[in-house]
Amino acid sequence: MSEPALLEMEGISKFYGNIIALRDITTSVRAGEVTCVLGDNGAGKSTFIKILAGAHKQSEGRLFVEGEEVDFDSPRDALARGIATVYQDLAVVPLMSVWRNFFLGAEPTKLGFLKVIDREKASGIAKDELAKMGIDIRDTEQPVGTLSGGERQSVAIARAAYFGAKVLILDEPTSALGVKQSGVVLRYIVEARNRGLGVIFITHNPHHAYPVGDRFMILNRGRSLGDFAKAELTQAELTQLMAGGADLAMLQHELSKAVAEGN
Amino acid sequence: MAADTKPAPASQGDERLAYRGPIQRLLTRPEIGALVGTGAIWMFFWSVSDVFGTTAGTNNYLDVATSLGIMAIAVALLMIGGEFDLSSGAMTGATGMLVVLLVKDTGELGGLGLPLSVAIPITFLFALGIGWVNGTLVEKTGLPSFIVTLGTFFVLRGAKLGFSKLFVDKVIVEGLDNAPDYDFWANIFGGVWIRNDHLWDSFLGGRDMVFGVFATLGVVALIVGLMELSLVRRDRASSENTGAAMVGTGSVIIALAAAVIGLVVAFALVGLGDSDNVSDNWLLVVAVAVALVLGFLAGVGLIRQTRGPWGKLSQEGIGLTATVVGLAGAIVGLLQLTVTDGVDANWTWSIVMVAGVVIAIFGYSAWRFEPSTLFKGGFSLSRDVGRRTAIGLGLVILGMILGVAMDSSSETVLGLLLTVQGLRAILFGGLVIVGVLMLLNAARDADSSPVTRFSITAVTGVGIAVVGFVIQSEAESAKYRAEFFAWMMGAAVVLLIVAMIRLLFDQRRHAHAEADKLGTSVSIAGILLIVLAIAVKLLWATSEELEASRALITYRVSILYFFAFAAFATWLLMRTKFGSWTFAVGGNKEASRQVGVPAARTKTQLFMMVSGASWLVGTLIAFRLNSVQANVGDGQEFFYIIAAVVGGNLLTGGYGSAAGAAIGALIMAMSFQGIPFAGWNSDWRFLFVGVILLLAVMVNNYVRGKAEKTR
Repeated sequence: MSEPALLEMEGISKFYGNIIALRDITTSVRAGEVTCVLGDNGAGKSTFIKILAGAHKQSEGRLFVEGEEVDFDSPRDALARGIATVYQDLAVVPLMSVWRNFFLGAEPTKLGFLKVIDREKASGIAKDELAKMGIDIRDTEQPVGTLSGGERQSVAIARAAYFGAKVLILDEPTSALGVKQSGVVLRYIVEARNRGLGVIFITHNPHHAYPVGDRFMILNRGRSLGDFAKAELTQAELTQLMAGGADLAMLQHELSKAVAEGN
Repeated sequence: MAADTKPAPASQGDERLAYRGPIQRLLTRPEIGALVGTGAIWMFFWSVSDVFGTTAGTNNYLDVATSLGIMAIAVALLMIGGEFDLSSGAMTGATGMLVVLLVKDTGELGGLGLPLSVAIPITFLFALGIGWVNGTLVEKTGLPSFIVTLGTFFVLRGAKLGFSKLFVDKVIVEGLDNAPDYDFWANIFGGVWIRNDHLWDSFLGGRDMVFGVFATLGVVALIVGLMELSLVRRDRASSENTGAAMVGTGSVIIALAAAVIGLVVAFALVGLGDSDNVSDNWLLVVAVAVALVLGFLAGVGLIRQTRGPWGKLSQEGIGLTATVVGLAGAIVGLLQLTVTDGVDANWTWSIVMVAGVVIAIFGYSAWRFEPSTLFKGGFSLSRDVGRRTAIGLGLVILGMILGVAMDSSSETVLGLLLTVQGLRAILFGGLVIVGVLMLLNAARDADSSPVTRFSITAVTGVGIAVVGFVIQSEAESAKYRAEFFAWMMGAAVVLLIVAMIRLLFDQRRHAHAEADKLGTSVSIAGILLIVLAIAVKLLWATSEELEASRALITYRVSILYFFAFAAFATWLLMRTKFGSWTFAVGGNKEASRQVGVPAARTKTQLFMMVSGASWLVGTLIAFRLNSVQANVGDGQEFFYIIAAVVGGNLLTGGYGSAAGAAIGALIMAMSFQGIPFAGWNSDWRFLFVGVILLLAVMVNNYVRGKAEKTR
């Protein structure tokens, strides 16, 4: 393709002492695409995110942003290159108001060096931006802690999108949510993609990943089980792959036996 | 959907949101518990001690609050940022000692003998350096700040002892006043305001007059501001004639001018009548009455001219006129209070003043606000509310009966240090307070029927007034007969006014930008006027006062630093980027780091702010005593933390207020100084502080829970 991918990883590995957390991971995300990274607990998803977010450095391999090789020293570096990460639990400061959270770290200021926050502007923009993402916040002065889990994630996503993120990394945004709330978050993921962002959606739930994803990478014990386009596999195949095929068949067999015995 | 057919206007906000006015929001601020506590503790010590409420007593506890408060504010900021600094107490002594050592010529060891203009900046940099070290150590090692700063604490403590022994062979370093440039710096850090040297007898009618005018205007402004914030405004757009409304505004200005002219005349007459000659005073009364009537007629006449015949006088017009006339009456009443000293005259004019305030407030109401539509439903008393009303009333009456019946002069000891006299005071006070609280509680729960609510509150107000009269006739000390009586009357009047307003007007159920803005600024103006009135009374003396008491009252400049720092820190927290980051790193450090808040830098800056505050306090101490002992400040860090917690700051970070910490320091200082003033052994003070701390934590917990829930 003519345009380079927004974010590209090539042969990324990460070792913690003698523990191999990730080995030889290669994948990419393009503008207007959702790349889903699936994996069970301990598959290396967290390490993967931390490397992309600039919190950790890879032991081997190279990272490219828009075709240019980069080297992140801190989350600020990654942010400066337009890579925003939304963590599952760490997305917001619960006791602070919605608009303060929305602008945290990049508050619009007035009066020059005094760095006084322009409250009216900030709270207005926060409300508008959230509305654009289809999030109808009751009052931007309310503490984020009083919002529901889905709304909190949505605030974090809207914030990342507003601040010019090109790539949005979402760490298990749906894992702690109920069915309806998860639906809300998935809708925002599609919304973000339609606005031309590249999204990396990390999850262990193939039912959430399949409907919104364009590409799928499955992690298992630190290795990639493959990097597929949506056309290449069905949801059932994805589920199979993720659970490790044979294991799942075994589990199903055992479960049906247990159920039969119970009856 | 049916609900969609009638969409709410945009200005009314989100329909899912129950409207919470500025006042309700104020009630969930972190410092509200401490503020109420300050009032309660002030009243307590005022009633048990004769010195506490005087200017000398006030200066005394303000002085103690100063160094505690400056530190508590800085420590609170750090606490909001999620960290502690146990070295802050020792740091105050260390900086104080350093500045003395730097300017001192220490003989054979060859002290530096630096001028203060060099030594003070060096000390400041030293303090910031220690703060930086604290912050950097905490951030780089990831150790709890408790441990790291405990280390710094011992380092500083040891260094203070070691260096003072080394250089001067004593545990105290002395002689700051011999330093070059001392006079200049002594003005900045050791300046004083000697009240006895500042007399205010006749300028603008005397200090008490200025105090009275400021205080009355302040109270009226505060009430009006709160009304603007909470009541439904008159709908001007719907009145058929906007032109008339504009002419009305013109007449408002003219009526005001007339009233001002009346007041100026009254002022001039006061100047003429400033004598004890009774006939002069009578002349004045007549003149003031004429001025009042003129003002009233001017207002009414003008409005009549623009609005047609008398019969069609609008409620608006009458309201406005009443406002102006009432205010004028209030001020004139005050004027008279200050020039007549006969008891009867005081009574009369007290009534004129109170009536003036009341008329002004209701006039303003009629002018500005929509009358209640809820003024129906009549009187209905639920069983529960009725029972509580009866019990509350019973308690108040029982208290009064006991107060009158028991022997007020008996000093017979009943056991446990308690005299009959003391028991009477406790029973009377306790029963009345519990009774009044029950009545107010019952009134609050009678919310469904405004008439019932008003009736209960009115009964309470009258009850308070009656209690006031009982106290006036029974109390031994002049303080209770005069001042306490005035407090009770004031409370009764305010209660009745509030009850009337709530009966006659509806509460606003949606935001109103213009009214909110006006209400906020008028309320703030009112508070400032009251503060100004208190400042006038505290800062200036009158010749009469000096004759009565020769006690020398010396205010230190450090009080100004305290207030300034409290204001600065509040602004910093609420309005700036740095403040937002402080809350963020304390509330959720990881999240704030993820979105690009420089967490380590913010925390280090907070540590440096604490050590900078220690520098200020240490320098103030050095200039006050001209010497610094090696143990100054050691162990104080816990009091800073306690003051911050009492002021509503959360120990775990992310929530709190700088003003709260300042109020917390004031509470601590009042308790520390109030106990010896009350004549009790000062050993009890720690017990007192402990109880206050426990109460504060519980109240703050409750307030915070409410703040989180109600949104």
